[in-house]
Amino acid sequence: MLRQIQCNNGGYSEGTLKGLGVRLRETKRLSGLLSLSRLLSRNSYTWAGLGLLIAGVLISVSAYFLFLLTWLTAMGVAMLILSFILLALSRTIPKLPPEVSGLLLETGIDNISSMVEELGIQAQAIYLPSSLSGGRPQALLPLHSNSSLPIITKALPRRLIVRYGVNPDEVGILLTTAGTTAVDMLEAIPAPDTAELESVLVALFNGVLGVADGAGVTGNESHIRVEIRNPRLEDKASWYHRCLGGTLASVVASLVAEAWDRPVTIRQEEQRGGSYLVELEVLE
Amino acid sequence: MRIYNVYVLIVSALLMLTTVILVALGQSSLAVYYSSYIIEALVVTEMFAYFIPKARRGLNLVSATLFGGFMVVICLQII
Repeated sequence: MLRQIQCNNGGYSEGTLKGLGVRLRETKRLSGLLSLSRLLSRNSYTWAGLGLLIAGVLISVSAYFLFLLTWLTAMGVAMLILSFILLALSRTIPKLPPEVSGLLLETGIDNISSMVEELGIQAQAIYLPSSLSGGRPQALLPLHSNSSLPIITKALPRRLIVRYGVNPDEVGILLTTAGTTAVDMLEAIPAPDTAELESVLVALFNGVLGVADGAGVTGNESHIRVEIRNPRLEDKASWYHRCLGGTLASVVASLVAEAWDRPVTIRQEEQRGGSYLVELEVLE
Repeated sequence: MRIYNVYVLIVSALLMLTTVILVALGQSSLAVYYSSYIIEALVVTEMFAYFIPKARRGLNLVSATLFGGFMVVICLQII
């Protein structure tokens, strides 16, 4: 093979280069077909978009040139506009189905839940901003069982087990939560203001994650109350949720901690009618 | 994905309703139909400003294309 493709001077013969060119074109054609098949198999938006595109072109062209019907041409144009919108949206649908994401979330929660239960942790989690937890907002679970809330003044190292004070029992575990990842999805961190927090939560829950219809925020500097409307994420009652709060509450707490740049703890969370209420306390 | 469905349904319903109303009014200019569609699509897209950045980029491209078509229609009307 090597003898075939190499010339005496160490380069490639003309025939070999032609052959390589043909193979390259074939590879490109195959990869093009593959990406087209991936595009088609991706989701229903692509199929609907392509269907409307073809139907729109056929209807508008035939109506304009053949039947001379303005309203039918307009219908074809409307179908074309819708097809462009659907094709634009089809590129943003996640490749993983929601069931797989749910499976991964549940597996992660189960593992952390086992660890928390094995360590016998009873304390409530403290949600720390990125400035206090080494670059990403994380949750600190103190290992002690006394009721006093820890005061954290300096950034903790990025480790699982961290010491946050000078006393021997001031040790905790630093966990990545759903809120950590959710905060990473935001383009900008909101200012410490309830109105701005509300708009960011609506955008996050409704537009990005699609887990609720909206959110309302009330409160002052130290107490914040968030009402999440029509949540579509249900948490099982487990040790994990007792310590760290529900998934949505965890997202809210991480976001508030990051916005206020102060530690936050979940005081209360409850389902009331179609709403999910979360009460947070912003710590010093 | 639910929010995308709502958005697509609103745009579809508006376009359909516009067609019915304009046909009922006896409108025969294609430019009027097209301009109405584009204005509606742009307004609804602006109302759903909190889509993820990737979706917003895609819709901005569609909006820019439609706006380009709208400008062409206006130019043709002026000429």
